[in-house]
Order: sequence, then C-alpha cells, then structure tokens
Amino acid sequence: MIEVKNLTKRYGKNTAVDNISFVVNDGEIVGFLGPNGAGKTTTMNMMTGYIAATGGDVNINGFDILKEPEKAKKQIGYLPDTPPLYGDMRVYEYLDFVCDIKDIPRKERKAMLDEIYETVKIKDVRKRIIKNLSKGYRQRVGLAQALVGFPDALILDEPTVGLDPKQIMEMRDVIKELGQRHTVILSSHILHEVSAVCDKLIIIDNGKIVVQKRTDEFENMSSEVFNIRVKASKTKDEMMEIFSGFSPVFDGIKEEGTFDFSIYAKDGYNDRREEIFRICAGKDIPVLMFKPVIFSLEDLFLKVINGEYAEESDSLALDDNKSEEVFEFDKKGDN
Amino acid sequence: MSAVFKKEIRTYFTTMSGYVFLGFFVLINAYFFSRFNVGEGSPDYSGTLTYTFSMFLILIPVLTMRLFAEEVRQKTDQLLYTSPISIWKIVFGKFFAAASLFLFGTVIIALFPIILNYYGDVNFIQTFGCFLGYFLLGASLIAVGLFISVLTDNQIIAAVGTFAAVFFILMMDSVIMSMPVDTLSSTVFTVLVISLISFILYNSTKNIVISGAFFGVCLVAVSVLYFLDDLIFEGIIVRVLNWFSVLNHFESFYMGIFKLSDVVYYISFIYIFLYITINTIEKRRWR
Repeated sequence: MIEVKNLTKRYGKNTAVDNISFVVNDGEIVGFLGPNGAGKTTTMNMMTGYIAATGGDVNINGFDILKEPEKAKKQIGYLPDTPPLYGDMRVYEYLDFVCDIKDIPRKERKAMLDEIYETVKIKDVRKRIIKNLSKGYRQRVGLAQALVGFPDALILDEPTVGLDPKQIMEMRDVIKELGQRHTVILSSHILHEVSAVCDKLIIIDNGKIVVQKRTDEFENMSSEVFNIRVKASKTKDEMMEIFSGFSPVFDGIKEEGTFDFSIYAKDGYNDRREEIFRICAGKDIPVLMFKPVIFSLEDLFLKVINGEYAEESDSLALDDNKSEEVFEFDKKGDN
Repeated sequence: MSAVFKKEIRTYFTTMSGYVFLGFFVLINAYFFSRFNVGEGSPDYSGTLTYTFSMFLILIPVLTMRLFAEEVRQKTDQLLYTSPISIWKIVFGKFFAAASLFLFGTVIIALFPIILNYYGDVNFIQTFGCFLGYFLLGASLIAVGLFISVLTDNQIIAAVGTFAAVFFILMMDSVIMSMPVDTLSSTVFTVLVISLISFILYNSTKNIVISGAFFGVCLVAVSVLYFLDDLIFEGIIVRVLNWFSVLNHFESFYMGIFKLSDVVYYISFIYIFLYITINTIEKRRWR
C-alpha cells in the first residue's frame, strides 16, 4: 500500500506540487493524469526518494521514504520518464548491475531475469549494446529494470511516451499483466491510454489533485447522454418557441432550409427523448437528425484541467449527488 | 558498494578511458624511467617518481570526469538514487574503482625499480615508501576530481575543473611561498577563514543563531588574542596552507621517512572530499 500525505514540493517561490494526498491499495493500477508540467514527474520523483519533499510524507508498505529509505526503496520499482540506461552496457550486463544494486541473491537471478525477459519481451536483444537499441526496446529495458526483484509497487512515469501505436498496445498489455501481481502507478498525459488499464484515475493540474475517481465512475459519467442535437426543417423562431420549455440552444444552420439545436436530454433522472419525439410528431415537424451528444473521457479531462469541473477530490462516492453534479457539469458543457 | 565498484571498473574498460589512463600512465613513467634511471644510470627511482607529478594534470581528469557527470547526463543517477543502496556506498564504490585503476598502474610501474635492482643497488624500503606516498597522493587528487564531477553534468567542465584543481594543488607550494607572514594580514586571514566557516555552517544548518553565535565567539577570541599577543598569528597563512598542501606531505615519503601522521593526513583528506561529495548529492535532493 502506498500512502501519500500532504506532499508538497517548492522550488523557491514556485510550487511544483501542492499538498497532494492519495492512497493506492495493494493490487490497484492507478493512473496519474495531467497536462505536461502538472507535477506528475515531481510527485513520482518524491515518491521514489529521488528528490526530497518540501513537506508531507510518502509511506510505502509502512516504510517512510525519507526515514527508512533503503527499506522503502526495496518495495519500489521505478521507471523514470527517461529510462535510466547505461548506453555502453549490454542488456544482460545492465540488468545484472541492477540486480547487484538491488541486492538480489545470485541464486534467484537467473529464474527472475528469465521471467522478466519473457514479460517485457526482450530476450532476443539481451546481448545487444543498449545505445544501439530502438526507443521501444529501450523503454522495455527500462521497464525490465523496474521489475528486477519483483517489487510490490511499480511506479512508471509515462511508460508509453514515444512509442509507436503497436508498441503502445503491447506496453499496455504488459502493464495490465503486471497489475495482476503488483501495485502499479503510471502517469500519462493521454487519457484513453490510462483509462484502458487503470482502476483509478487521479487527475492533477498545477500541482494539485483536481479529481480522483475509479475509472468506471468516470466512464459512467462520460457515457451519459447529456445532450440531444436535433436538426429540423422549420424556421428558427418557430422551433425555439415550441421547445421553449426545454431551454434549447441554437447550434446554427448547417444545411440550407434546416436548423440545428441542442436540448438537454435529461431533466434530473427523466429521459426527455421520447417527449421531444412526441412533440415533433404531434406538430408534424420532420426531424432530419436526432443525435445524442456523448462526452468522451477526453472532453471530461479537458474540462477538468480547464477548471470547469471541480469537486471534493477525495470523495469517491458519486451516487448521492449524481443528478445534481451531472446537471452542473452539463450546463457548462459544449453548447 | 561492490556493485558500483564492479560497474565502474567495467565501464573503464568498455569505454576507452581505462586503457587511455593505463597506457599514458605507464608510457610517461617509462619515459622518465628510461631517461633518468637507465639513461643516467641512477638507482634512485623515488626522484624519478616526483618528476611524473605533472601528468596528474591530465590523467586524474581522465579517471574522474565521467564518474558523476555522466550519470547525471544519462539520467542513470535516478536509478542509483532510487535503488535500495545508500549514497555513501555509491560514492565510495566510485572512488575505490578509480583508485584501484590508479593502484593497478602504480603496481605496473613498481616493476621498474625491480628491474633496476639487477643493475645497481636500489633502496627498496625508501622506494616502496615512496610508492605508498605516490598512491596516497594520487588517491587524494582522485577524491578531489570525484567531488568536482558531482558538481556538473558536463564531462568537459568536470575535466577542466579537475585540471584547474590539480594545477592549484601542485602549485600550492609556490603559492605558499609568496604569502605574507606579517601579523596584520595573518589576522585578517583568520577572520576571513572564520567568516567562511560560519557561512558554511549557516548554509548546511540554515540556522542563523548557531552560525552567528559561532562567528561572534570566534571573532571575540581572535580580537582578544590579537591585543594580548599578536605574534600568535604570525605566519598563520603559511601554516594553514601548508596543512592543505597535499604535495608537502609527500616529502617525508620521498626522504624515506614513514610518518604515520602523513598517512593519516592523506586518508583524512580523501575522507573529507568524499564526505562533501556525499553531502552535495544529499543536498541537491533537498533543493
């Protein structure tokens, strides 16, 4: 279990990480999400003991990273944003060195390294010199390094950055597989990448946690049909009047003689789609398009980091205030 | 410690620097050997050894410039500092790797006096005492180079910095000779040293009260002493700098005298530089 409490890092007057707290339970895969410069790397560097925090605690399986660094670091495998590789070494030499500094007993090494080669699929390059490897392979050797000793917690800083789409998919599979045995924290600025593998997402921006939620809750939120876009061949004024009770929003004329507008699909929990259909049918208005507008996770992410969406960051229970929250969120939506 | 040590030794021989060091080290020593011992028929190898000091200017940077600068550039320092290994093990591992390579070279050139012994009488005890001093001197310069390497992520800057530091250390004796010995400048010098120590104290503790109190107490002590008996301060610059002169402590080895205090001096000199290296790394993490 990883506990981060009130973690803060200041560089002079500049606050890079501001009072971050979260808990990662055993066996969870947690995505650390935020735009570039949000403080993801700084947080991870503090969690792994690379840099010291200005304030706050990091606790890894009960060991404080600053008070008992060696015990705490034994619980962690870290892949920094640039994989820490010695270009002049061969892959197997490098991993042997990592075994040395992580104090892995000689007897266990072979079996462990074989398993790691298998997991990250670098067996065929193990005799090559690291500086001659491609970016994708280097990233994998970096991951292999983090896996040495099979630590409880893996902290991966942007593990898929710079990889091609196929490699990204492979890396994602590897991480998913690792998540079955390890606690994984990974960071990214690409949302769908983390949402595909993570149980929980923590969105940070400007050094602060903006939201932390389980991924399925995010997906529930984002797959709600919030808006209906209707295209009808009537004049604007007529339509606006008919639907005035629904507070329609004019979307513009996209086709000659027609008119688009958006209506809230929900009034609290009530689905209004049928109602809209009946009104149009009753008035004999030909509906040319009836399209639900679904928020993608990307929209949500952008809203969150643009500060349009804020909530108690440590509330994981959405259900109590769901309708209200959704409505709030929607009003500010992409009208 | 052995992990870092092994890795550094391996790196010396996978990159060229280990071969470059050993090659030039042996070549230069062999040149002086053939010139002074073989050419002039002198059985005194200790004298020959002292001629080779100037090659430290180039060879010490070759050994040390990479040690930390390259780790930072490659970002492998992140691996080292997030691994369950303490910083002193990393620093000592690197130091011992460089010192071992130097020792290896020294062992090779130790063959020269043995060869010489077939043709004349070599004073072995004096010569090998001299080799011990030679090794300690080299190791001290390596500790300085290691410290300079931790200050930058650029190998070239580390190399030039180490060159300058070694140059200064080798020139120390002539610098000392030009220093004033009168009481006034010596007292001023003492005050400057006290301010420097107070500043370092403040910098490492961030406690203005302790460092201020230290400065005040020392200043009062100095002024009282100055008015009581200002002769105490006479020649203090030379005395202090002499203590710092690494070369000065080689003299007894050269003269065939084994002084434990000189061995202790070299070991403490090395320890101090390794200690501030560790501290610099620690401090950077807190910044």
